[in-house]
Amino acid sequence: MLFTTDKQTLEDLNIFGKYGGESVYNIFNRTISRGGASLMEDMFRHPLSDHLAINRRSEIIRDFAQAGTVYPFSAMLFDAVEPYLSNTDERTKLSADDQSISKKLADMIAADGNMQMVYKGVQSLVEILQGIQSFISGGEGGAAYEADRNAISTLLSAPAFSPVLAHRGKLSHATIAAYDILFRFRYREAIQQLLHYLYYLDVYLSVAKVAAERGFIFPAALARDTCKANVEGVYHPLLKKAVPNTICITAENNVLFLTGANMAGKSTFMKSLSIALFLGHMGFPVAAAKMEFSVLDGIYTTINLPDNLGMGASHFYAEVLRVKKIAQELSMGKHLFIVFDELFRGTNVKDAYEATIAITNGFAGKRNSIFVISTHIIEAGEVLKAQCGNVHFVYLPTRMEGLRPVYTYMLENGITNDRHGMIIINNEGILEMLAGGLTKMK
Amino acid sequence: MSMSFTADKQTLEDLNLLGRFKPNSIYYLFSKIKTTGGERLLEQMFQQPLIDPDAINKRSATFRYFQERQLSFPISGEQIKLAENYLTMGGGSGLSFILRKKLHAFLNDDGYEKLCAGLVATIDVLRTFRDFLQLLPDYEEAVALRKTLSDISWLDNANDFSIMTVAQYDRQLRHHHQAAMEQVLEGIYQLDVYITVSDVARQRGFHYATALPAFPAVFRTTALRHPALPAGISNPVSLDENANVIFLTGANMAGKSTLMKSIGVALYLAHMGFPVAAADMEFSVRDGLYSSINVPDNLNMGYSHFYAEVLRVKQVAAEVSAGKNLLVIFDELFKGTNVKDAYDATLAVTAAFARYHNCFFVISTHIIEVGDALRQDPGIQFRYLPTILEGAIPRYTYLLREGITSDRHGMTIIENEQILALLKD
Repeated sequence: MLFTTDKQTLEDLNIFGKYGGESVYNIFNRTISRGGASLMEDMFRHPLSDHLAINRRSEIIRDFAQAGTVYPFSAMLFDAVEPYLSNTDERTKLSADDQSISKKLADMIAADGNMQMVYKGVQSLVEILQGIQSFISGGEGGAAYEADRNAISTLLSAPAFSPVLAHRGKLSHATIAAYDILFRFRYREAIQQLLHYLYYLDVYLSVAKVAAERGFIFPAALARDTCKANVEGVYHPLLKKAVPNTICITAENNVLFLTGANMAGKSTFMKSLSIALFLGHMGFPVAAAKMEFSVLDGIYTTINLPDNLGMGASHFYAEVLRVKKIAQELSMGKHLFIVFDELFRGTNVKDAYEATIAITNGFAGKRNSIFVISTHIIEAGEVLKAQCGNVHFVYLPTRMEGLRPVYTYMLENGITNDRHGMIIINNEGILEMLAGGLTKMK
Repeated sequence: MSMSFTADKQTLEDLNLLGRFKPNSIYYLFSKIKTTGGERLLEQMFQQPLIDPDAINKRSATFRYFQERQLSFPISGEQIKLAENYLTMGGGSGLSFILRKKLHAFLNDDGYEKLCAGLVATIDVLRTFRDFLQLLPDYEEAVALRKTLSDISWLDNANDFSIMTVAQYDRQLRHHHQAAMEQVLEGIYQLDVYITVSDVARQRGFHYATALPAFPAVFRTTALRHPALPAGISNPVSLDENANVIFLTGANMAGKSTLMKSIGVALYLAHMGFPVAAADMEFSVRDGLYSSINVPDNLNMGYSHFYAEVLRVKQVAAEVSAGKNLLVIFDELFKGTNVKDAYDATLAVTAAFARYHNCFFVISTHIIEVGDALRQDPGIQFRYLPTILEGAIPRYTYLLREGITSDRHGMTIIENEQILALLKD
């Protein structure tokens, strides 16, 4: 089964960001080659749902991170190779006897763009082939990378490449013409496969570098069906002073019911946990101290549901449709990670109260998925406590220092009893203002 | 007291009042104007509602006068555009075109032809307008306009357009009579607005409200509906100093927001002297109108929905406590908090506002217990919009009733989508 997610989730978690701003992708993307960058984007768009594949990738990255391996190629090489290889026009082949006096004279006046492209492409590829040869013969990468090493080695062992690998010094025009035919036409397939491995290597080393720099850890993926997420010291990778939290989710408490004041950090915690699980399913390192999780089939968050239209019932209806979509996915037997921030905030508190109880109760029946639900309707928590055994109540506290609220951002067990609605209204002095105006007018 | 009627950005958006290119806006309803100058004038009227009851009644009387006459605007859009362009043409004098025409008759220069066409169109517009004014004996502004036009003695004799006469007429219209022409254009624009707006009123069955002095404060209509809903249901609404609050309950789709918007829109249009979607209406002039129907979250600033609402209430409280005479509309305050705080806050805020008998309040909520707590306040009118359940299907009458209802349909919507059944298997 493929790991599924959707646009809403990618936006909620700021996976790709908007207009080139900060994003999770940008944290990890230190790739050198454009091919590496687009491969990484592809990995973000398609997380894995097989724990063996996840662990393999994460081991490769971990080994590179520990060794501090550096990508042996510069961006310039790929800039030359990419347009060169994409040009498959036979007429751009160099001819060996093209070095007539008149041609040389012509080149002195204005260089032939096509010939330059071929020259640079061939020279760069020779450098790349030789570079990757020495990279793998040096035994770089750990045990998990061995399959890739062997595959690269097999590709390089083609007899046609041996003069290329053995070549030293400047390339003559005739040699370039010969290699051009080799690279672009006869062994095109092999060259592209090699580049493919180089892009993977680029991604691995880019992620490894970030992991080492930021102290990210490599979670262990467990087989599907165990419903487990053990996350210690998880924090938001995009925040400067993020506070870490620890949460342990099992089939016995797979519904997290999160309460707390508005500024107490509910959304941030939910995003931190979601991003960690998202990256975990990519085999990427995460912003946590320790983590293991059983593999899920998908992740759906509802944190900033856009409320367009402005018609009374529309936001509530948008939320209802979102819940329905997720209920449909769940009813297909999928194991999902589901997040709802301020569930049913689009309607009046009374409807929200009833609906929160009914939906949370429904979710609680799905023991193979993990749910995180935040709400202001603390009254709903009391009812759920009595009805469901597998709901785990946590809250983010607010401490009042005089009239000023202070937030710890540290999860605690239970339901908050903070009632800040009236405190906020009193702090704004609305009732005094109205009482005062009346006396003035009399 | 403020010098003009105020309605802030949030209110204008809640009521969807402005927006020339928004197909659902109230402005758009009236925007069938033919001239660009008329469009400008209409926009001005929408931007600056009046606060003087005499000025309001005078303007609405003019609209009514035009509505009764059933006139159609006599000048084509094409003609007026040519005349406008001609009269506002830069360069001061057409003489240069005329000289060029004389000197280089063989050259292809269409400056002169354009000048000629503009002049001919303008003379045509002036004649048409003058004749049209004859049909409006009681239209006050027509007197001055007729006088101005009769001062152009050659208007009827201008038939020969040789180069010399063109030069003469051009000089006359664009220099000698420049001020008069501005006055005439303005008169045409006004006429355009009066005819267009009164046409809309006739077609849609709108009527004119009577403006009264600020005290005693009243707002009364026996049948009010939303102007953008032609088949909308009408309801009576009555507010005065002794009954200054409407406490409105009803299910989500029962029509609470529409009713509240209808009241706000009617009061705004009435202050413009415009026709309103009511069978009748009288109102004492207000200093402004504030609504809180769709408070934007402003999550970018870290505000929660709740806090955004609190700030909105605070803003209104500042205006009310400053002694302004306002109409205030609060639709379902204090979402995004817990049930207890929502109850406490709605009750405290409603009770505090209700004591301002110079202001009117329309407040909707689902927390019916707040209504029970306010029962004893004689200034509060309890109204609800009913839901009739036909089996599991809710039907709405949109007819305002006296009392409080506990109708809610959040769970019905969820049940209709069969979400709980999906989660069961």
